This record gives sequence, structure tokens and C-alpha cells, in this order.
Amino acid sequence: MARSEIMLQRTKRYKKMVLFPLIASILLILGPALILQLYLSFNYYSIYSEGWWASEWYALDIFSDVVSDSRFHIAIVRSLGFALASTIGCFVIGFGLALLMYKNFRLQWFYYIIFIIPMLTVPIVIAYTAEMILYQKGPLNGILSSIVGRDMLIMWITNPDIALLTVVLMEVWNWAPFSFIIMMAGLASLPKEPVEAAQILGASRFKIFYEIQLPLLRPIIVLALVLRFLEAMAEFPKTWAIFQGGPGTATETIPVLIYLNTWYYFDWSKAAAMSYIVMMMMVVIILAAIKILQKENKRITQAQAN
Amino acid sequence: MTKTQKQNLDNVIRYTLLTIWLLIVLFPLFWIVATSFKPDKDWLAWPPVYWSEEPTMSNYNNVWGGAMEHTETQYAQSVQKPFTALRNSTIISFISTFLSVSFGAFIAYGVSRYKVLSETRMFQLLMLRMVPPIVLVGPLSLYYTTIGLIDSLTGLIAIYFITTLPYAVWMTKSFIDEVPIELEQAAEIMGANRWTIITEVVFPVIRSGLLATFLFILILTWSEYLVAFILSKTDAVTLPVELAKYEGSSEGRVYGRQAALSVGITIPLIIVGITIRKHLARGFSFGMIRK
Repeated sequence: MARSEIMLQRTKRYKKMVLFPLIASILLILGPALILQLYLSFNYYSIYSEGWWASEWYALDIFSDVVSDSRFHIAIVRSLGFALASTIGCFVIGFGLALLMYKNFRLQWFYYIIFIIPMLTVPIVIAYTAEMILYQKGPLNGILSSIVGRDMLIMWITNPDIALLTVVLMEVWNWAPFSFIIMMAGLASLPKEPVEAAQILGASRFKIFYEIQLPLLRPIIVLALVLRFLEAMAEFPKTWAIFQGGPGTATETIPVLIYLNTWYYFDWSKAAAMSYIVMMMMVVIILAAIKILQKENKRITQAQAN
Repeated sequence: MTKTQKQNLDNVIRYTLLTIWLLIVLFPLFWIVATSFKPDKDWLAWPPVYWSEEPTMSNYNNVWGGAMEHTETQYAQSVQKPFTALRNSTIISFISTFLSVSFGAFIAYGVSRYKVLSETRMFQLLMLRMVPPIVLVGPLSLYYTTIGLIDSLTGLIAIYFITTLPYAVWMTKSFIDEVPIELEQAAEIMGANRWTIITEVVFPVIRSGLLATFLFILILTWSEYLVAFILSKTDAVTLPVELAKYEGSSEGRVYGRQAALSVGITIPLIIVGITIRKHLARGFSFGMIRK
């Protein structure tokens, strides 16, 4: 009895010791920004105001302006589409590579090291490098031209129909390694017995993959997809550095649109209202994601304990 | 088809596919290294110049040596301060990472041993990382301007500290979970207090894990762009932000200089990342995959 009481006391003391600074630093660093964001959504602030404190009460006008803004709607759809496409792209390539590589073979370490490099590369460096490679008379078109045998001058950057796809390709190059390392770890942790048993029973490779390995991998697959999707929703450097939302509005994702409204149109209040809506939307998405992760995490923990 | 034939075919397919992706991965890396050694006229040549016939060090000399006499063309240099950026990046990423990992490790110990955060709270902590930073940097820059933290190292350290904390807590917790509780009980019997147990028993046992966490978060902080871009103007500029300054107003992008700087920024990260490659999956999955 005494022991459990001591335990309880300790827990309490430790809790105070770490939770107080944790909550204090969150409130101190992010709290004022959150309040300002809400404040600006209701009070019109422009660079002509004396300061944010001298802004004018607009009630819900700013919100209704944002909600009815079709550019904002399109940006949301574009961001979701971008996140979805790049998540799937990363996953298909990452998982594919992992399937080719998870069994030991001679140059495994070499390929592994090379394949993780893109995710260690600074995103803004990727953006500028991509621009060097992708401009109309650049090396990528040069290589394509020599393969096809005639001049292939694809406008990766200036054609509005292709631009967003170009960003997706950059994102996939950058983050396929993420899915790759996670799926490598997943495949390596699979128990060997069920697969061997199925082989003895004469099951085809496809059947083994589809009916044994895939279900066992499900929690890890979900993890890889969910985390990548959330990160892709926030992607900024690669989209911004090359395109600044253009050509036209072809690459105007949520982060780019908020950035433009704040630092190009100086419409801080509109940007704040947009941010607020996006934040709420993301919180809903994240809570759903967290629920999924929490469930799958239990399974992963169980599997790892075995 | 016999079994060995089938295996050979498998191998051919495997190596072909892997090598295709290998080339896709390596080509941009090759291109940036190659460009960093090219003189001005090769940057935008058509047909593209893959490796310059007259490789030059002038890009590196210009960026890192700041030597005007090494350039064939003169570019505005007043705004470019790579060494300030290098210093800033180093200070910011090392201090914020250190704070994040050390504080994170104490929280993680509490979670692992005393459940000071419930499982749900632990997942909610992830919010700090998962909400896109763009929704807060605007108001944050106003807040920082008001209290005088805009364009300061302290401001950036604070925000990096708080946004990498979820990684630090989750990753170190995954290591602490693996430390047998008997070790601590033994120390306790010998009369060690909590502080001693944590700093002299638990942390030393997981030191390689702590180091991996440190380096992992260092990679994230070092390469962060958006927040640094918005919260810095001249004094607190970091390397990724500095990179954007290599644009002449009349000459367009200065590819060679940018490439030279990019190589300098990226190589340390690749080396660090490859060193901790066994822990990357653990890091990126918030410790959920432990292997």
C-alpha cells in the first residue's frame, strides 16, 4: 500500500515538473499567435493601419468574404488533390522498391543508401535544382530528346496544365524514400512462418502477397499513407520557389494562397480568416488521422512485441 | 523454366528496376554538382552541357570566398552573406535541437514510466507538428515584431523547439520503453534519487538513441524553409533562405553560385542521415516503427 502511494506521489511531482514547462512554452510561443489569428479574422488590418492593434472591427465580413471566394475553394481542392496524388505516388514507388529489396541480396546496402538520399536533401535545394533541370531547354528535355530522337520541349514549368504535375513529381522524388524505409522495416518485421507454410501448400507468389503479407502489413501501410498525406498538405518550399502559385493560378495550393494574401496582397485579415478555416479543417483531418494511427499503432506494437 | 532460370530472370528484373530508380535519384544530384563547377556560359546551354569542358572553382570561390576577382561577371554581393547564414543555421539548429531533445527526453521518461501524458494526449501532442505551419506564421510574425523577436535567432530557436518537440518526445520514448525497469530499481535500492537515475542510468543506456534523435531533428531543423523565410529579414537568415538570394536583378538566377551553395548545405545532411539510417524509419514514424 505504502509503495503504491509513493508511486502516486512521484507521478504527481514528475507530472508537475514536466507538464508546467510544456504548457507554458506552448502558450508563450504559439498562444499569442493563435489569438492574433482570430483577432485579425474579425478586425480589418492593412499595412496602412498604424499597427495590428489599430485595426477596424469588421464582424463576420472577412469570413464571409473568404467563404465565398472561389479561388480559396479551388486552392483547397488543389491541395487535397496534390496531397493525394503525391502520397499515392510516393507510396507506390516506395513500396515497390521495398518489395524488390527486402530480401537480402548483394548490393542491398548500396541501393539502400542511395535511395534514402532524396529525403535528406534540403527541399529548397530540390526546388532550385528541379528548376535547373526542368526549364524548357534543360537537361531533362535534352535526355528525352535524345531518347526519342527529335526535340522534345515539354514546358514543365510554364505550361499551366503540367505545372502541378511537376510539383507532384518533385514531391515524389523527395519523399518516396519515406515510404520506402517504412515499408522496408515493415517487410523485415513480417513473421516468416505463414509465408513458408503457404509456399509449401503451393500458393502462388501473388496469392501469398495479397492474402498473407498485405493484411499483415496493413497497419504500417496506413501509417505511411497518413503521415505522408499530412505533410504533403503543408508543402510550401518546392511549390513556392519555382512557381509562386503560377503559371496563372495553376499551382496555388493552400499554403501558397495564404502566403500570397499575406505578403503580396497585404490582406492580412483575409489570410488570417483563411488560415483559421484551414486550421479547423486540418484539425478535423488530423483528429481523424490520429484515431486511425492510434488504432494501427496498437497493432504495430503488438506485432513488434511478438 | 527451371528454378535457377526463374531466379536469374527475377534478378535481371530486380536490378533493372532498381537501377532505373537509382538513375532517377542520382541525376539531379549529379546535375547540381556538375553545375557548381560550370562557368557562366554552360549554365543554360542547349544542347545541355553535362560536364563542363573547362571546370572552374569560381562558383565556390565566389560563394564561400566572397572573392570578386574570381568572377567573370560581377554580381551584386551586398545582400549575400553565406557565412552569416552558415553561422545562423548552425546556432539555431544546434540549440533548438538540443533544447527539444533534452526536454523531450524528460517528458518521454515521464510518459514511459509514470504515464504523465495519456495515450490520447500523446497523440494530441502530434498536432504541434501536423498543423501546417503556414496557418500560424503570419500572426506569429506580427507577434514577434511586437515583442522584438522578429529577425532574431531566439525567435527561430523558440519556434523550432516547439515544433520538433513531438518528434523528440515520441522518438526518445520509443528508446526509453526498451530500457528494463530492473535497472532503475537496482539504482533506487542503492539510494539514487530520480534525477540521478534519469541522468546517470537511463540516459547513458539510451545514448545512441538520444544521439540518433538529436541528429534526426537536426536534419529537420537545418532544412526548414518557410518559417525561417518569414521570420528572418537580414540578421537571422538561415542557409535555405540565403539560397534564394542568389538571384541577380538583371541576370536572372545565378545557377552556378546557387549550385555551389546547395552542395555546401546538402552534403553535411546526407552524411548525417546516412550515419543514422537505421533510425530514420523510427524517427519519421514518431517511434511507432521500432524494428
